Amino acid sequence: MPQGTFLRLLVFFLGPALLVYSVFSIYPLLATILNSLYSHQRDGSYLWNGLGNFQTLLFDPTWSVPFWNALKNNFIFFLIHMCVQNPVGLLLAALLSLPRLRFRATYRTLIFMPTMLSVVVIGFAWQLILSPLWGIAKMFLQTFGLGFLFAPWLGLESSALITVSLISVWQFVGIPMILIYTALLAIPDELVDAATVDGLNQFQAFVWVKLPLIWPTIGLVSILTFVNNFNAFDLVYAMKGALAGPNFATDIMGTLFYRTFFGNQLQLGDPSMGSAVATMMLLIILIGVMAYLFLVQRRIQRYSF
Amino acid sequence: MRRHASAIAVHAILGLYTLLALFPIVLVVMNSFKAKRAIFNTPLRPPLPMNFDPVGYTKVFGDSSLPLYYLNSITVTVGTIFLTLLFGAMAAWALTEYKFRWNTLLALYLSVGIMVPIRLGSVAIIQLVAELNLINTLTALVLVYTAQNLPLAIFILSEFIAQIPRDLREAARCDGLSEYNIFFHIILPLIRPAMATVAVFTMIPVWNDLWFPLLLAPAGGKQTITLGVQQFLGQYITDWNAVLAALSTAIVPVLLLYVIFSRQLIRGLTSGAVK
Amino acid sequence: MAEVRIENLRKSFGAVEVLKDIDLTVEDGSFVVLVGPSGCGKSTLLRSIAGLEPVSGGTITIGGRKVNDLPPAQREIAMVFQSYALYPHMDVAANMGFGLRFARTPKAEIEARVAEAARILQLEPLLKRRPRELSGGQRQRVAIGRAIVRKPQVFLFDEPLSNLDAALRINTRVEIAKLHKLLAATIVYVTHDQVEAMTLADKIVVMNQGRIEQQGKPLDLYYRPANLFVAGFIGSPAMNFIAGQVTQGGIDLGPDGAVTLAGLTAAAVGSRVTLGIRPEHVRIADGEGGLRLSATVELVERLGEAGYVHLRLPSGTVAVAEIRGETSLRTGDRTSLALDPTHLHLFGPDGRRMV
Ligand SMILES: Nc1ncnc2c1ncn2[C@@H]1O[C@H](COP(=O)(O)OP(=O)(O)OP(=O)(O)O)[C@@H](O)[C@H]1O
Ligand SMILES: [Mg+2]
Repeated sequence: MPQGTFLRLLVFFLGPALLVYSVFSIYPLLATILNSLYSHQRDGSYLWNGLGNFQTLLFDPTWSVPFWNALKNNFIFFLIHMCVQNPVGLLLAALLSLPRLRFRATYRTLIFMPTMLSVVVIGFAWQLILSPLWGIAKMFLQTFGLGFLFAPWLGLESSALITVSLISVWQFVGIPMILIYTALLAIPDELVDAATVDGLNQFQAFVWVKLPLIWPTIGLVSILTFVNNFNAFDLVYAMKGALAGPNFATDIMGTLFYRTFFGNQLQLGDPSMGSAVATMMLLIILIGVMAYLFLVQRRIQRYSF
Repeated sequence: MRRHASAIAVHAILGLYTLLALFPIVLVVMNSFKAKRAIFNTPLRPPLPMNFDPVGYTKVFGDSSLPLYYLNSITVTVGTIFLTLLFGAMAAWALTEYKFRWNTLLALYLSVGIMVPIRLGSVAIIQLVAELNLINTLTALVLVYTAQNLPLAIFILSEFIAQIPRDLREAARCDGLSEYNIFFHIILPLIRPAMATVAVFTMIPVWNDLWFPLLLAPAGGKQTITLGVQQFLGQYITDWNAVLAALSTAIVPVLLLYVIFSRQLIRGLTSGAVK
Repeated sequence: MAEVRIENLRKSFGAVEVLKDIDLTVEDGSFVVLVGPSGCGKSTLLRSIAGLEPVSGGTITIGGRKVNDLPPAQREIAMVFQSYALYPHMDVAANMGFGLRFARTPKAEIEARVAEAARILQLEPLLKRRPRELSGGQRQRVAIGRAIVRKPQVFLFDEPLSNLDAALRINTRVEIAKLHKLLAATIVYVTHDQVEAMTLADKIVVMNQGRIEQQGKPLDLYYRPANLFVAGFIGSPAMNFIAGQVTQGGIDLGPDGAVTLAGLTAAAVGSRVTLGIRPEHVRIADGEGGLRLSATVELVERLGEAGYVHLRLPSGTVAVAEIRGETSLRTGDRTSLALDPTHLHLFGPDGRRMV
């Protein structure tokens, strides 16, 4: 093929995708990082500020207190997902992949349902259910004689973050479930048969044969959870607003970013500081992904069957 | 006997979890059809003629913008899927079929978008969209979502295209088809199943997203249904009939679509693509 | 070692009956091969013996012990799977010793048994490798080793050689035959391969649609197939069949001619029958005679010393004859066939063998 024709082909096929991707994804990411090195002036102009914004964010109490608070909350948010969402997803996937299970498709479809719905809808529905005004949750506990346990969990500083996290877990448990379920299905039946002949029961076969084979998927699920959690925003915003109340108890990086950039009742929006927060998020996510790629993924053996 | 007992235990766990998954959804939809008093006094009772009251729906559809918001969401989702599939398939084809110097580098460049959430570039996206005079337009949303979904789409489609036997393309070339015709008339029809998978992956997050509608098209009748419902809820927060009805209008169409397409969707999710 | 006795075994998947009233005895120390077309229930029968499939009726006895309700591990069987089913995350030694570990066998004993099996199968240098670092033949041997270390009463093999290439297949086949002698093992073996079945088996069991069509010594099946199905299934290339009708003193083959045949009862006269003859019992011979049919050559296949001639009879039936040495036959030649009278098979209207 002549050089010119070949070039024209490449431009035709690759051009549109690269253009859209570069302009609306890569450029904004780079521009945001660059932005974070300037400071936004009252008159709308920008001044070079080096790493000044980051210094402010990390060490100036007006900024650093919310920042560390959001970061800590985000870690708690992530840990709850890792400790509840992924094990529950694993359990459900393990049960769903049992041989000769009846109603398999029905369970799978129904359990995955919440994942399909918008976070706004989910958040609000749970808000209503947990609201003392409606009293559904209280009524529910009372039927088990546990009425005294009820509290307005979403409104209390001590429990709001855990409650929001658990609601998020409830919604997204379908994703680890489906990914792990798929990985389990890929394990040949004969392997489990061999384990049965070797004297293992269903549970032992799961622990000793299937689990070691799905570590790569569990690793993938974990890193996906990490990236999604440190990028989360919608649920907290939908349930608790941009102020992530009570008293910032549910503030995570996403809501902090939104507030910093757009401002709110308490402060003016600041694009430069917003960019600095976004850059910090980017850094955290990159560190997480890199740590996973270099420390974890290398040690996980992949198997093809 | 033991086999029986463990089967019952398995169904008990799955059944309970299914109930937990459905309970909030069913509760909201059920109560949205009831009178206010019934919502509070007997929330667990299904809507019956005696406590039926569609007042919430009257209010939701009286706020005539919701149908418009639906249309916006459909436009944005369909537009995004179309552009993602078209541009994605074209790029995937070029990356797998043509060997050139920057091939690997380009693949690496694209993989950045899989690892890094595009949201983090929001500050610059807003400035860019403002400069392009696209604030409060659906175009802005479609472009941003397309950029967000392209990398994964390209990867999934590339894997698929790589599996198409070489002979097929060579045969087409021998028949004298141009590269453009090979792509549009041979490759595109062949990768339809993979495109369906990508469409599913693209559709759900785009439909449900709150962030970019909030940033890029928060007003001017260009809200998506997700944002529209969120704003509606904010306004009518104390009107339980309206709130429940609004939630149900957001839930039911999605669930209907889901139930209809759940087989394809799960198949898509469980096909090799996600491994 | 032990005898396996299967009585009135039935197995259904939902409404589909896959095994229908199977009766089979595998004598102590014997090598029994199950053959049959795809989907006829061979694997299901094997898995029922192993205890991997619960049966719907009948009994299975291993070494005098009814095992219907025992889990696989307690049936004293070992199974070698078609895909080998080696645990990808364990090395060869761990793969072989895995079952013993769960049977709480002392460590020293496990090591001794693994070493013994490795010695027999020449796996010693490979003990620390993972399955994906092994060739197909090596994996196959590990799978057999895993069975050996269990010291089972019965070995079950499900198409163990089907994933190997032709040369390796022959080698491994010989190895399995030696192993059978060495361990004096009772073996039930499923295969698609005629040669495997004929060479390995003490007894071949031909299955079709969930039933046993015939069981017996390989050569008995070959020379005295009980019915049309077995006659057509055993032997390659397959037996030639020609439809006809019994007359006084012979069989009328319609347009193809007639053959004289002694020993037919008068009662049989008039019934529709099928004449069967294997290609090696058909000779190409010009001229006339009692058991001669005329035919047209369709195709000549040369495989070296031996070869096959495909012929079309006047009725349109295609027959195959084996030839040895040189031939001058060409496609389109008219010739005639001589059938060896001592090797004629006759099947009645119900498909069963007659006299
Ligand atoms: N788990 C199952 N559920 C339903 N039907 C099954 C199941 N396993 C096997 N069958 C059916 O039972 C019949 C016998 O299957 P089986 O695997 O025993 O055949 P086979 O003789 O081993 O065939 P092949 O030579 O192809 O391995 C087939 O028709 C198959 O479709
Ligand atoms: Mg089989």
